[in-house]
This record gives sequence, structure tokens and C-alpha cells, in this order.
Amino acid sequence: MLKLRLLLLLLVPVLLLADNINGGILAKKLHLSAGTKAIIQWERIFTSNRKKRKYKINTLTLDEQNSLKEYLIQHAIDSDHPMVAGE
Amino acid sequence: MYIRVWSVLFCLFVFVGANEGEEQNLSIEALQNEIKELKQSIQHIESVQKEHESYMEDIESYTEDTETLVLEDKLKFGLGFKTNLDNFTKKYASGRVVRNNNIWSNKLMLNAKANITKSMKFYARFSMYKYWGSSYVHPYSSYDNMQARVPSDSSIYVERAYLDWFFNQEGLIPFALTLGRQPSADGPSHQFKDNTTRKATYSALLYDGTADGAVLTLNMSKLLNYKKTYLRFGYAKGFGYSETSKDVGNAYIGANNNDLKDTNIYGLFFDTVLPSIQSSLVQFSYSKMKDVIANPLDANSSANKNIGDVDMYGVMIEITDLDGSGLDLFAHYGYVHTAPNANTYLEYGGLLNSAGKSESKSGDAVWIGGRYGMGPKKEYKVGFEYNHGSKNWVSLTQGSFDVYNKLATRGNAYEAYFMYVINRYSNIRLGYVDINYDYTKSGWFVGESIAIDHTDNPDAELKHLSSIYLKLNVLF
Repeated sequence: MLKLRLLLLLLVPVLLLADNINGGILAKKLHLSAGTKAIIQWERIFTSNRKKRKYKINTLTLDEQNSLKEYLIQHAIDSDHPMVAGE
Repeated sequence: MYIRVWSVLFCLFVFVGANEGEEQNLSIEALQNEIKELKQSIQHIESVQKEHESYMEDIESYTEDTETLVLEDKLKFGLGFKTNLDNFTKKYASGRVVRNNNIWSNKLMLNAKANITKSMKFYARFSMYKYWGSSYVHPYSSYDNMQARVPSDSSIYVERAYLDWFFNQEGLIPFALTLGRQPSADGPSHQFKDNTTRKATYSALLYDGTADGAVLTLNMSKLLNYKKTYLRFGYAKGFGYSETSKDVGNAYIGANNNDLKDTNIYGLFFDTVLPSIQSSLVQFSYSKMKDVIANPLDANSSANKNIGDVDMYGVMIEITDLDGSGLDLFAHYGYVHTAPNANTYLEYGGLLNSAGKSESKSGDAVWIGGRYGMGPKKEYKVGFEYNHGSKNWVSLTQGSFDVYNKLATRGNAYEAYFMYVINRYSNIRLGYVDINYDYTKSGWFVGESIAIDHTDNPDAELKHLSSIYLKLNVLF
């Protein structure tokens, strides 16, 4: 019973707090596919205003840009991918 | 008078006409000059274009050369490298204390990947794991589930090698077949301590080690209209009997009826995510171990026996970077139930029973923990873990993430650590592990577990184990 309570205690704050900006949705909106570039290439794009304009990243707020950058880097072609059977 | 007027008009006409002719001549000359200039410009453009064409041909040639090299690299390698410093303190039930400080080890992992086609991918990990200054071959390193999972000599073992074969990718239920040495070690939620992503399919509370098998993964996301939802059917060999004296021709091709049976494992796993939290994992599992063998390292002994079956149930929840806060949380629960037969192995006994007994037993365990990232880039992380196992808790974690098989503890274990993320690919971790064994034979399927304070041989039973460790971890 104690174990069950611990699990529930862990879950409640989690469900209450979840409402973050989703970088994946932003990437989809801008037609950016994370797996088409390497981490360093995505980082380069976010340091160049010209490239940001090219990919319409400049139309996003700073928070959105950060979320998008994090998502693109996390899912870049050379990123640390999960190793799971059949996924 | 008229003659004079006409003369003046005539002169004017001649003068104006001559002037117009001169202007026309001038315009033609200007046009000719302009044409000449244009011709020169066109010639210049043509020469520049030719230069560019030649330059583009060069670039195309270089690009093709690069592409050829890329396409030629059929197997892509990544690096994993760990350096560990452990300082152990062991306290036995008798009160005797043994300290083993300054224990250094290295683990090298060469991670390979091949995208054979869009529907076929291959992954492998070749590993070496050894203590510094020692190439002593640890006997457990020949145990199939522990190869490359315990420090041994400098041999390279195949820790994982599997083929993912995808079918019906555009259909309602895409599915995949995973064949080979499975991604079954260092699973959730060990990745937080390595500062990496999920590195195996199954909850590490129940399964941690190498395993050969086949897994059918059904992607239910489209059918249920719910992201990251998978149903898996797994089959693995926990133990495969082979003996040189039973060879037919050049190789072993099967046991006799009265020989040991293979240990077969059948499993059902359901993965999904929490609503509105994509970076989460929820897993329910059930697996059955048929014909557990008493000692996989003693297969040729006539005393070795199949000692019964075990049912294992599990549930886990894990959240990574909750709401972008840098907080990671996880909770795992496992339950096992045994169905022993009357067989016993030497004086050690049967499945969770002493010799002569064959009672069915149940055990359970819980593992909870979290990690919190601080600093501008969340480069400073603190983590805490706790696990508790009951008297008859037993699991398939013999090839565990750590050398002490912490999650098999029949008792309580605590771990706290501080991590500094040096860069995207490496981190350093300082931690403390504290394990209190309440019962004997943690991690063992054979023999009856008894309270550690009631053991007949208190000088040989470990009651408390602690370690202060420092680990450098590079995953590139």
C-alpha cells in the first residue's frame, strides 16, 4: 500500500505541471524535419538571422525558438537516439 | 520678293535637313557603341559562366565523392567510454568490516548502426569491461546474460546485435520484428545516471542484462489515435543448453530427452505515454520464465537441474524534463511468483526453497527516484534513488547496470549523486550508494532466503554495502 501511495504521490504533481511548449509541433508547423541535419548544423542556423529568416524561425517568440532549437537538436541525425526494440 | 522668300526657305530647309542627318548619324554611332559594350558584357558573362560551370562541375565531383564515401560507410560507429572509481565498504552479519578502496575500472562500448534499407536497420554494441591492472577472467563473464556486464578481462564481447525489420509502415498497425541479441540492458530508468536517452526496451527493475531473442512490436499509435503506444510480444532464451560431449558432426544440435531443458522466457509488454506528457514512458509487463535452470555455469553437471517456473509482473512510469523544469522522475514496481518443482541443486536447494521443499513463493520490489538539473544549461544535476525488495524478490538483473546488482536487493538501497555535464557528450558523477540487506541470497533463484540476522554463517553474509564513487562517462 505504501508503494502504491508513493507512486500516486509521484504522479499527481506531474499531471498538474504538464503544459510546456512543444518543439515538435513548432517544427511541424515550420516544415522542419530534425533528422535532416546534424546538431552542429541546427546550432548554426540559430546563430544566423539570415538563416532564421530563411526557415521562418524569426516569426517565433524567443521561448518558442528555444523550444524548437532544443527539439531539433535532440532529434538531429547525429543525436543520442533511444535504443528500443522495433521503434 | 517671292524669289527672296523661297530662297530663304530653301536655305533653312537645307540647313535643318543637314542638321537632322548629322543627329541621325550620331544616334547610330551611339547605338553601335552600346551594342559593342553589350557584346563585351555578354562575352564577359559567358566567360564568367564558363568559369562557374567548371567550378560547379568541380563541386559536383567533390559532392559525388563525398556521397560515395558516405554510402560506402555501411556501418556507422559511436563511442561509449566509462571510467569508474569505487570505494567499497562491506559489513558482514558478524560485524566484520572490509574496505576495498581505490577500485578503478573502464568500460569501452563501440556502438554500431547500419541503415540497410528503409525497412531494415541493424544495431550492435561491442564492449570491453575490466578493472585496471587486471585481466582476470571473471567466471560470470562466461554466463551469457552477463557478458560485457561484469568487469573481466580485456576481451571484446557482443553486448547487443539485433536487426529491426519493419513491416506495413503506412498501414493502420505498423509492426516490427527484432531479432538477435536484444537491447535489454541499461534500460529505463538508468539513462538518467548516464545522462543519455532510453537505452533498452524493458524496465531495469525486472530485466537488466544481455539476452538473445525475438520481439514482435505492434505500433498501436494510429489504431488507438494515441502517440507512442506499442504492444510487444517477446521470446528469449534465458539459458540454452549445449555440451561438447553431445556434439553431432561438428556442432551441438540438440539435447537428449533426459538432459536439462532450455530456459525459455515469454513476455508481453505494453508501452505508452502519459496524457499531455510526450516525454514520458508508461510500461506494463508480464513475462514467464519456463524451466529455470539452477546454475547456468554448471550445465554439464548431473546435479544441475531445471527447478521450476517464474511469473514476473511489472509497471513503471517515467517522466523526462517535466514541463521544461529540468526535473526527471520515475517509479517502478515489480512482482514475482514462483512455481517450483521438486528438483534441488546440490545442497543449495530448489527455486527459492531449501532442499526438500517446493513451496510457491511471491516477492515484490519498488524503485523510485528523480533527478533535477540546475544552472543556465541544466549542467549541474542532483539525483536520488531508493529501492526496496522483499524477502523473496528475484529478477532478471544479473547483468545489472552496476556491479552490485542494487535492484535485486532484498532490503533497502539508497543512492544519491551529483553530476556535472561537461559537454553534450560527457559528464562526471560523484555518488554514494548505501545497501542494507535484510535477507540472504539477493539476486539468486536457488535456495531459501532467510533473515540476515539469523544466518548460520554470519561471517560470509553481507549485511551492508556502501560505495563512494566517481565516474566519468563519455557517450559520443
